[in-house]
Amino acid sequence: MMELALLLQAGDTGDPTSIGLFRFFLGFFLIVLIFSSFLFFTYWISKDE
Amino acid sequence: MPIGDLDVPIIGKNTVIAVLVQAHVLFAAFIIGAVIIAATSEYLGLVTKQPRYERFARNLARFIVLLFASGAALAITFVLALVTLFPVFFSYLQNIFFWVFLVEAFMFLGQIIIVYAWYNVWDKLAYRKSLHVVFGFVAGFFGLMAMTMINAVASFMLTPAEAPVNDVARTFLNQTNVPLNMHRFVGNFSYAGFLIAGWGAWRYLRSTREDDREYYDWMGHFGLIWGFGFLILQPVIGYGYLKGIRESAPEAFNVIMLGDKSWLFLLLMFWIALMTVASTAYFVHKLRFAVKPMPMMRKMTIGALGFTVLFTVLNIIPSNASLVPQIGLVFAGGEDTQIPLGSMYPWKYIGLIGLMIVGFFVIALYLKATASGFHFGRSSRWSQYALISSAVIVVLTMITMGYTRETARRVDNDPGWLIYNCITMDQELVTDLCLAEGLEGGEGGE
Repeated sequence: MMELALLLQAGDTGDPTSIGLFRFFLGFFLIVLIFSSFLFFTYWISKDE
Repeated sequence: MPIGDLDVPIIGKNTVIAVLVQAHVLFAAFIIGAVIIAATSEYLGLVTKQPRYERFARNLARFIVLLFASGAALAITFVLALVTLFPVFFSYLQNIFFWVFLVEAFMFLGQIIIVYAWYNVWDKLAYRKSLHVVFGFVAGFFGLMAMTMINAVASFMLTPAEAPVNDVARTFLNQTNVPLNMHRFVGNFSYAGFLIAGWGAWRYLRSTREDDREYYDWMGHFGLIWGFGFLILQPVIGYGYLKGIRESAPEAFNVIMLGDKSWLFLLLMFWIALMTVASTAYFVHKLRFAVKPMPMMRKMTIGALGFTVLFTVLNIIPSNASLVPQIGLVFAGGEDTQIPLGSMYPWKYIGLIGLMIVGFFVIALYLKATASGFHFGRSSRWSQYALISSAVIVVLTMITMGYTRETARRVDNDPGWLIYNCITMDQELVTDLCLAEGLEGGEGGE
């Protein structure tokens, strides 16, 4: 099983480029930013009702 | 006219799609889950005559109506981005799933119309409450059907059916469509429930009036029953889903379960561990305020909390010392250093099964206590922090799961796949590996 696991990792993704890492974290930041800001906006327009 | 190969500076076109879709799903899943939770609450208000169910349902319906614009705007922006940045891929998808996209569009339309009508006729149908409740459930049904349609596309991208693409039934019911649909169906309630609980907790901490404190304390309790109750169904459904991926897309399965990205599964289990422990701790606290004192049940729940911790720990132990190779978190020989307790068999299976059994036990005890009622408005601050933490963590869980499923198709990036073994990330069709016949058109695709 372990040999199989190691074999399957032969073509690995364990060494991404720095731009790849940058895009990963930027993507995460943008998702959280869009979600929280839209959510806050919806709360803001509804809170005085 | 040649089709341009556009890219987006700095962020890259893959990230653009990921950001738009993930942000959209965070709204869409909440709306689908919340519509049905609100309709159920309205129905419970009708049956029990307790005004807080009605207050909750109406406020949630208003919030859904307002939030709908954000979810829909992101969906449209996503489709526009997909057409612009992946035009060849989109044309393949459109050819395969024309009917699915068409039904999806009408389900979406139906959902909008009924959700707005549901909220708008709240007073008008005050004396025909049963009919009004039906509006809410119909809106929920349309939302679920829209989700089912898009799940057919998403599951096909990871596990294309081993059939001609013009075989509509087999393409639609590809190998992971049903488990994915079950996973998301249950997940919507859990996700919306945790967010509602978190919101209730936040408002509880900021409320000064006694009636508001009672109401928001109850909201946290009600949301958590949905959140935790449906969460504990996920291990067995998730197992079924992963089994489907392993059988139909083994390389993709190995990337996320054994390969360089197996940390994603551990991260996912870490989030679930935090939510489970926080929820069980909340239940333990809440049982102190049961109308009918239940000291024995509370002690049993404390014991269950101990088992919850034990089982969650089993799920988050890595199988080797190569934790996150992408950012250099590799210790003591990396992959060569095996950690026996971190292996899938039997430890993680024991952890998952144990987590479910203890979860069912805890929720059963809590529901029994709920039947006789609680004194609301007296919860401690830390119990509310547990709910708020769970709400934040459920969002992180959703993002982690979405990324995991989509990155699985990248395999070793040589090439990564948009449709597994069929269309590469560069939108090239590969016919010799592809099990779905007829993507190239001609006889099989007529």
